[in-house]
Amino acid sequence: MISTILLLGTILSTVPGRIEDVAGSVRRNVLLPIGQTLDRLLAPVDRALQPVADGYNRRLGTYFGEMTGLQFALIFGALIALLTAGLWAPLVSGSLLRTLALASIWAIFAMSWDIQSGYTGYISFGHSVLSAAAGYTTALLLVHVNPELSLWITAPISVLAALVLGLLIALPSLRLEGPYFSLITFVAVLLFYRLTTAFTSLGGIPGFSSPDVFTWDPTMRYYYMLVPMLLIALALTFMARSNLGMILVAIRENESAVSAAGINPTKFKIWSFALSSIPMGIGGVLLVGFTGNVDPHTFVIVDNSIEMIAMAVIGGMSSILGPLGGAFLFEFLNHEVLHGFSTPVRYLFLWGLVLLVLVFARDGLFRMIWHRLGAVRGENE
Amino acid sequence: MLGDIGTLVLQGAMISAIYALIAIGFTMIFGVGGILNLAHGALIMAGAYIFGILVRETTVSWIALHPAIAFPVTVVAVAVLSWGLYQVLVRWVEDNVVITFLATVVVAVASTELVIYLFGDTPMGMTLISGALNLEPFGINARPRYVQFAGFVVSWIAIGLLWFYITKTDDGRSILAASMSERGAQLTGVDLHSVRAKTWLIAGALAGIAGIFLGSTGSATPLMWLNPLALAFIIVVIGGIGSIKGSVVAAYFIGFLEQFTVTFVGQGFRGILSLVVLAIFLLYLPQGLYGREFVHD
Repeated sequence: MISTILLLGTILSTVPGRIEDVAGSVRRNVLLPIGQTLDRLLAPVDRALQPVADGYNRRLGTYFGEMTGLQFALIFGALIALLTAGLWAPLVSGSLLRTLALASIWAIFAMSWDIQSGYTGYISFGHSVLSAAAGYTTALLLVHVNPELSLWITAPISVLAALVLGLLIALPSLRLEGPYFSLITFVAVLLFYRLTTAFTSLGGIPGFSSPDVFTWDPTMRYYYMLVPMLLIALALTFMARSNLGMILVAIRENESAVSAAGINPTKFKIWSFALSSIPMGIGGVLLVGFTGNVDPHTFVIVDNSIEMIAMAVIGGMSSILGPLGGAFLFEFLNHEVLHGFSTPVRYLFLWGLVLLVLVFARDGLFRMIWHRLGAVRGENE
Repeated sequence: MLGDIGTLVLQGAMISAIYALIAIGFTMIFGVGGILNLAHGALIMAGAYIFGILVRETTVSWIALHPAIAFPVTVVAVAVLSWGLYQVLVRWVEDNVVITFLATVVVAVASTELVIYLFGDTPMGMTLISGALNLEPFGINARPRYVQFAGFVVSWIAIGLLWFYITKTDDGRSILAASMSERGAQLTGVDLHSVRAKTWLIAGALAGIAGIFLGSTGSATPLMWLNPLALAFIIVVIGGIGSIKGSVVAAYFIGFLEQFTVTFVGQGFRGILSLVVLAIFLLYLPQGLYGREFVHD
């Protein structure tokens, strides 16, 4: 047995060297020429689009970040595609609108996670608690107060509940450093889950089915999810590109330097958590409106928190728009591309993809594409 | 009342022994590499399922081993699995704490899907030792099973062996050295990489043992990694990160606390009290009972 292990060990230790050789030759002979050809093809397009992008850069660049021509085309194209999806999506596939609506909700979750964990480096494993707080508040209001309450009343209260719970978690735990914060958030999810199953007044495993969906019309439902998502994306990008975002990144890179500069890092971490709780609450309200059911499986379980992290990782942490793209890619793969497989196979594939991204492309796929597009003319900022 | 207390002590001691096994591996990996191995629960689950496949006649009929043979085979298999996890995945990302964190948690979640894919949702039962002891004549209202006694004994044998290895052999002392000060260990000629790999091997073996006992006292389910992982968290934080002695003490503390809740409050509240204790420790004594402040070197 020991000798087999040793043999295995020697074999394994030679493998990495060979892999590096192979990877190196692939990079030289395949990827580099392809990249150069793409650069050559795209550079004129980029140059042609530059005046349009410059117009944007002059007016809004200081608030949302400057872009090159191609980057501007990508964002603008994606925006148009999303806004007109009601027209073209049914032609592509019958379930695409539903997938896109779901992806919009998850994009909200992934972006909210990102402004907190991606930017400050304090990884939260418990963000699903925040959306669950909003969802359960809506359900409890409808069940115990008045089943006729309108969305205009329940939604703000639910978002407020998410914010309050967020502060409740953040105030004590963000004083802790490093992994302890993640532990507390992880425990928060487990605690919430146990509470929902221990107290029957919280609905138990079946949960509440009393909240109504917003609408049964798939097109309208899609826009109900899309519009808040785009507004949140806009707001979070604005915050992330402001001084606030800069301080949050500084906290991630070197917290003691932030303190030394006379800025209280704990205060800003709590701010970022609050900033993240509000969109989480909005997302929770939308999820209630999407599924029409509030139960631990849709809202609380740890897997939900991990899923939003996975989306943010695929897209690229600390970039807001990266997680947005990651959420759409994740849901598109999950519900459209891998549609024919059973749930475990689909998720095995998706988690495998996340692992590959974590090991080989830490910055995430969309951030990689973004920077590649920005550098087609060979300028490196 | 007296009978209840007897049950409490008996069941508490036996459950705590398993908790100690769960937590020691977790704390060792954290102590040496500074890595929170969130896939630790998945390794425990692997132990339960591998043992289940080996001993059950229904899964694969021609490899229905005797439990006494299946036990060491499972422990070695999980140890190698854990070592493989380190060599294939963790060592490439361990320079970044956040990425390691995320990678191991993704492994854990993926393991659930793999188990569902291979064995389905239904719990898998298995037997290590059958039979139970009737304690009614002695006024204790409990029927502890022999497998629980076996768990208690094996746990202490494993802890004893580990203690001997870590304090009495050079090999083991290099692990201790690496957990105290990485730079100091390096300066005295310790190969950090091999120490880390060794730690993962040992942690895997302990997780395997824990998995076998969890599987054969209850059953193996696709989500069984979650609770042991949460327990390992709680115990390690209370005992002090990186301290083996602390983990054992905290394991018994938490084990008895849970048993107390189950006996006197109700099954539904099983984990809630320990979570509250954890929160108190994190806020007022974050270094734990036997922990030390991290030395920045």
